[in-house]
Amino acid sequence: MSKLLRRALKISIVPAILLIAGKFIGILCTSIIYNLNFQISNDLNGLFSVQIYYPDASTTLFVNSISNLVMILFVALPLAYFIIKTTLYHTIAHNPRTIVKMTRFNMLKWITSKDTSFLTMFIWCAFLWIASGVTIAHTLQGSTYPWVGIVAGSVALIASLFTIKTFEIETDNIYPTEHKYY
Amino acid sequence: MPNQNAQKFKKVLSLVVEPIALGVLALLFIIPTITVMNLSPITKKLQELNVLGANTQATVSITLVGGKHPILTEENLNKASDISYEYSTQITGRGADSYSKPIVEIKNNTDKAQKISFYGQTVNQTQSNIFLRTDRDEAIKKIQDDRGQTYTQEITIDPSSKIVVFLSIENLASVNFSTEFDLQIKVIENL
Repeated sequence: MSKLLRRALKISIVPAILLIAGKFIGILCTSIIYNLNFQISNDLNGLFSVQIYYPDASTTLFVNSISNLVMILFVALPLAYFIIKTTLYHTIAHNPRTIVKMTRFNMLKWITSKDTSFLTMFIWCAFLWIASGVTIAHTLQGSTYPWVGIVAGSVALIASLFTIKTFEIETDNIYPTEHKYY
Repeated sequence: MPNQNAQKFKKVLSLVVEPIALGVLALLFIIPTITVMNLSPITKKLQELNVLGANTQATVSITLVGGKHPILTEENLNKASDISYEYSTQITGRGADSYSKPIVEIKNNTDKAQKISFYGQTVNQTQSNIFLRTDRDEAIKKIQDDRGQTYTQEITIDPSSKIVVFLSIENLASVNFSTEFDLQIKVIENL
């Protein structure tokens, strides 16, 4: 088995679990905090038989919106951490000021090549696209607040731009552009 | 020789494992997507269960059919008391035509026939005839005529049976404004 495939499999497990956990925790916490009645029941019409039911449409809309937002945050926050880490890791090579600032904030431990590869960011970004896609689909169906759909779309777009930037940095290391390295 | 055999075996194994690993990778993306979509909550009237888990409710239950309709929007059904419900909807502007939509499902969970009364009207006069119809027969029951006159109608439901009530609107001229329609549904008698 190729090394790339093995790494991709290894990296994909955590965001896959977080995606499901985010949705489930979002539903559970919203129901507990707002003391909402819900029922887990069987419905043989869908792909899976287990369904979560709420008694009225407004409660369903609220719970679905909040759980979608929590799901997005569960995937977006680690990705944001990887983006910041990668940016810092690549900035210190050209900017000594960054090292001074990081020393002042006691963040020198962040300067490692760990979790800064393009593959890690691409896989996390792909899971963020899935989470955003589901949220936007729900928004278009009217089962999620429009502002949640807008937030999901914006977060996915920004994360994609940073992932592309990482890809550019990595390709620059392999094929350096003339004006930078010669 | 044994070294060559081991290398050959490794090569064959990698040929077998690689497609499986690709499939597993694809599943790692597909399964969370389907699970998340399936976890999305939906609206349904919650069952009232007793401690043994058996449904002991023996009344007439009325539920909203829901769904989308170009003319009848913003449907709501509120339970005012054990025997009365209030249905409301927004009737939007429309061309001269007839429109119909299933609005409520009424279930008689008792062992006696039940008589249900309907009384409703629009907030503004729209010169439209408004009727109720059921999926049981073709009989139409006028609720409001084109002059604004309202009528109380009754429907009898057999024991352990259910009916779907349709709201029909008929207007001879186009109506360019929206108005609210309210309908009171009451269980009036155990027959």
